Amino acid sequence: MYSDILKYLGLTVILLLLQFLVLNNINFMGYVNPYIYILIILLLPYRITRWMLLIIGFALGFAVDYFSNTLGLHTTASLVLAYFRPVILNRWSFKSVQDIRGVPDVTNTSLEWFVVYALIAVLVHHFTLFVLEVFTFKHFWLTLVRIILSTAVSTFFIVIIELLRAPNKMSR
Amino acid sequence: MNNLYEILKRLYIHLIFLILLGISLSLYFNTTYYQKSQVGAVTKSISGLWHKQASQVTGLFQLQRSNVLLLLENVRLRNEIEGYRLKLQMLQDSFMRIEDTSGLFRYIPARVIDNSINSRHNYITLDAGSKDGAYKEMGVICKNGVVGIVSATTKHFASVISLLNTDVRVSAMHKKSGAFGAVSWDGMNYRRVVLDEIPLHVNVAVGDTIVTSGFSTIFPRDIPIGRVVDFYNKDGSFLQITVELFADFKTLDYVYLVDSKVKSEVDRLQTMK
Repeated sequence: MYSDILKYLGLTVILLLLQFLVLNNINFMGYVNPYIYILIILLLPYRITRWMLLIIGFALGFAVDYFSNTLGLHTTASLVLAYFRPVILNRWSFKSVQDIRGVPDVTNTSLEWFVVYALIAVLVHHFTLFVLEVFTFKHFWLTLVRIILSTAVSTFFIVIIELLRAPNKMSR
Repeated sequence: MNNLYEILKRLYIHLIFLILLGISLSLYFNTTYYQKSQVGAVTKSISGLWHKQASQVTGLFQLQRSNVLLLLENVRLRNEIEGYRLKLQMLQDSFMRIEDTSGLFRYIPARVIDNSINSRHNYITLDAGSKDGAYKEMGVICKNGVVGIVSATTKHFASVISLLNTDVRVSAMHKKSGAFGAVSWDGMNYRRVVLDEIPLHVNVAVGDTIVTSGFSTIFPRDIPIGRVVDFYNKDGSFLQITVELFADFKTLDYVYLVDSKVKSEVDRLQTMK
């Protein structure tokens, strides 16, 4: 139990460092910024209570906000994702392939399932994030393009990281 | 009551979500940009260190592009320097003349705002007027030589009778011999004026320089006018010399008004006798 918490904390630190030191400096084509820290929320165990999930989502988003001068922005997006995660999991769960006691990661499920799962989660998160960030419908199409491109790039990075992480876990 | 508890139990997770959402949204909308930027100020020194290291690496990829940009900037700056050098030269010229005439003359810079060369009575308009110290019968020169004489001034502008005006005669001198005469325009070629009243015995050669004589107080001594291109015996006692002007009246831009400090004094003396 405690080792699990430590594992999550370690992963959080690594992802946040990666987020701030590398990905925040990429800025593809001027408006695509991948956010990978939500992988933490994706990887929390199935059995976690919903209020715990909300608290973690809130705290994680707040930590990101704290470091990127956007008080409340990532907090909201991350919280919304945490709220919808059980909904997503119920809708796109393949009970036959997943171990309900474990975590919804790629070793526990399949690559295809994980990609779809990540894509939907990232979409929910990025939609909240970008709509809140511009907070106007004036540049609706630009915002939509930003959401779609960023979602694609973020999902790509998340899946890559998850695949890099997976062999470690399987060998354990 | 039991019923209410049941409802709360069913809805509490949504309530928690709404409360947290309210907190995060109010965080987002109720903090100013400044407050946001103050958050995490401590960590900025750390991330700043990282950014410095990272930019040293990413900077390598931009060297090629930077080089091209620097090259372009260099060219632009070089051109600019040439422009300044020219202006400096002009300024130095005028300063040197001020010193040459031992303080008898003062120069007022002006720009040509209207000019003509194709009439027989050409006039030039300058952007300096009585406000700048211009007055009637001032001489006007440019860096290459004599331009004309002020005919009228308003507060901000001055009208100049161009040397290319058949009514103007300027006292001039054959520099080598010191023989003096008067330069005037025959109304033909805008590059050429005529110098007459030079005695036959003066040894004039093609290429000799003609300068102002300094007799009139309008112009200082030794302001260049032009170079001899042709001369002939006009009526048995004087030479008629064709002089090519140094100043190109077609491209006049910056000129100087000559303010003679002793003009009124000399004029008074001359009317006395």
